[in-house]
Amino acid sequence: MRMRLPSGVFYQTYRQDQALWPTTFVKLRMWGLLVFLFVIFPQIASPYWLSLANLVGYTILSAMGVQLLIGYTGQVTLGHAAFIAAGAYTCAVLVLQYHVPYPLAFLAAMIVAGLWSMLFGLPSARVKGFYLIMTTMAAQFITVDFIITQYVSRIGERGHSFSLPPGTLSIGPWVIQSDRDIYYLMIALVTLSVLAMTNLARTRIGRAWMAIRDHDIAAEALGINIVAYKLLAFFMAGVFGGVAGAFWIANLYAVSPEHFTWSWSLWLVGVILIGGLGSNYGTIFGSLFMTLVMEALRNIVTWLTPFFPSLETSFLFVKEAAFGLAIILFLLYEPNGLAYRWWQIKNYIHLWPFSYE
Amino acid sequence: MDSPPVILQVEGIFLTFGGVMALNGVSLAVRHGEIFSIIGPNGAGKTSLLNCINGLYRPQRGRILFNGQDITRLPAHRRARMGIARTFQKTELFKNMTVLDNVRLGRHIHMKTNLLDALIYWGRAEWEELAHRAFIEEEILDLLEIGHLRHRVVGMLPYGLQKRVDLARALALEPRLLLLDEPMAGLNLEEVEDMARFILEINENPRWGVTCVLVEHDMGVVMDLSHRVAVLNFGNKIAEGPPEEIQNNPVVIQAYLGEEAAYATRR
Ligand SMILES: Nc1ncnc2c1ncn2[C@@H]1O[C@H](COP(=O)(O)OP(=O)(O)O)[C@@H](O)[C@H]1O
Ligand SMILES: [Mg+2]
Repeated sequence: MRMRLPSGVFYQTYRQDQALWPTTFVKLRMWGLLVFLFVIFPQIASPYWLSLANLVGYTILSAMGVQLLIGYTGQVTLGHAAFIAAGAYTCAVLVLQYHVPYPLAFLAAMIVAGLWSMLFGLPSARVKGFYLIMTTMAAQFITVDFIITQYVSRIGERGHSFSLPPGTLSIGPWVIQSDRDIYYLMIALVTLSVLAMTNLARTRIGRAWMAIRDHDIAAEALGINIVAYKLLAFFMAGVFGGVAGAFWIANLYAVSPEHFTWSWSLWLVGVILIGGLGSNYGTIFGSLFMTLVMEALRNIVTWLTPFFPSLETSFLFVKEAAFGLAIILFLLYEPNGLAYRWWQIKNYIHLWPFSYE
Repeated sequence: MDSPPVILQVEGIFLTFGGVMALNGVSLAVRHGEIFSIIGPNGAGKTSLLNCINGLYRPQRGRILFNGQDITRLPAHRRARMGIARTFQKTELFKNMTVLDNVRLGRHIHMKTNLLDALIYWGRAEWEELAHRAFIEEEILDLLEIGHLRHRVVGMLPYGLQKRVDLARALALEPRLLLLDEPMAGLNLEEVEDMARFILEINENPRWGVTCVLVEHDMGVVMDLSHRVAVLNFGNKIAEGPPEEIQNNPVVIQAYLGEEAAYATRR
């Protein structure tokens, strides 16, 4: 290849032009956000808010792989909970049965979930659209309802769901136990995952995924091996699922097949549809929105129950109905998701005092 | 005078769609450094031929050799890696991406960042991104005069500029053989002149020295640019030779040029 080293000045210019946080203002804002998330929030938040934040974090980690597949690569998946489950059970079995240290079990969970996801991604080499959706649904039922429920859950005769003795999970000397510990683990994992996704998106791998999503024939003509990159997308989505699953057992100190239902798979698709496709903002906003709205709904139901006793039992129904309604409303009125609205607001503020458009 | 070696050899290609015979035993040989044009009326099979050469279509019979190697059964992405790039008749660009990202995708085969490099970014991946950015800016966007559009979303650009981005993206592959499918279609006179200038530069400047297969309707352009011309009609090659010869070939005039002359004088 005839490739020249970029000259110094231009090198600096391009580096600045391609920087993640291009201006001082953005840098300050992002560092401020990080300080808040890593230092201030865990100090001031009550256990209730910490556990709510952990739920948001778990949703972000879970939706990350769905975003990668649907939002970045254009491969619809309706069975992502299967790979989160694969991660959670790999980690739990290794820790409980084989006394593997949590960090190692965590790594194994990522790899197993990644490979498991790639296996179910194989049909994507041949089929698209509806048939691929069927395959990903099959992943859900084969993994969770069959393999995990029938076989994996029986390992060690622990009963239907595994619970981890307190203090089982530690990273070096740090035992992950309190809500605050879990929060620190969560915020570190979310930050790293968001960074990983950002980095993928701005290098050749992420660009190849987006090329496949937008125009696979053109991508092929440019030398992109479509099948290989689709499989890589399924692998990475599974790896993110593994991260979510391995985090989940730290969050709950228990794991059961009921945690990885098909409706959780659908929920995650809803999260990125509402948040917005093809960006980290979409994943984050969608997770925040869905989790907080559901929590608000639950509080309202709890508050109203003395007046309408039947509400308590029908909360599940209310939740699903609200989920369906939210998706329909978003598809109708905000088809680009919350991330797009955020982008508009940001532009508006940047342009401010000149924002007469 | 020795003629340069053959870069692309097409041997007896047959391609049918249901009952339609798109290519009926077409053979041709393109030499290193040539601009080889393929002309013919609409539906003659020109685009199908390019699709066979770069691997989007698979002919039912016949062989395609690139630098002497049989590539008939290779998938399109392998052929791109070997040095065959193309533009499309209706610009198949990534419409929602910026000019820069479209051209970056053209650099895909020259990049080496693996999964781990990409995840970490700082270090190898960043160096590669910046080096290729410099290449794109200094070698390609400057040459095609679209540097000022780098951050513009392609779908929002006027058609003439989209055609140029299509060329930029193909050129980013640093191909040995460039297939151009009607690069002038839909351009105004000034844009046609620019495009012709770019094609000549890519072909003649030893920095690029790209062999071109040009499918084009604009006869003026074809006669000015080409070293040799082949004529397709209903999937058959009916003539081949230097432009002057083709212009005066009675078979060609009957099949094609009569209709095209009218088209050419209209513009
Ligand atoms: N993908 C396809 N499916 C069916 N028929 C096709 C396809 N591509 C080309 N054809 C047919 O093959 C013939 C040649 O088309 P084409 O190569 O596009 O001609 P040209 O580029 O010379 O105008 C036409 O009759 C066209 O309808
Ligand atoms: Mg055509």
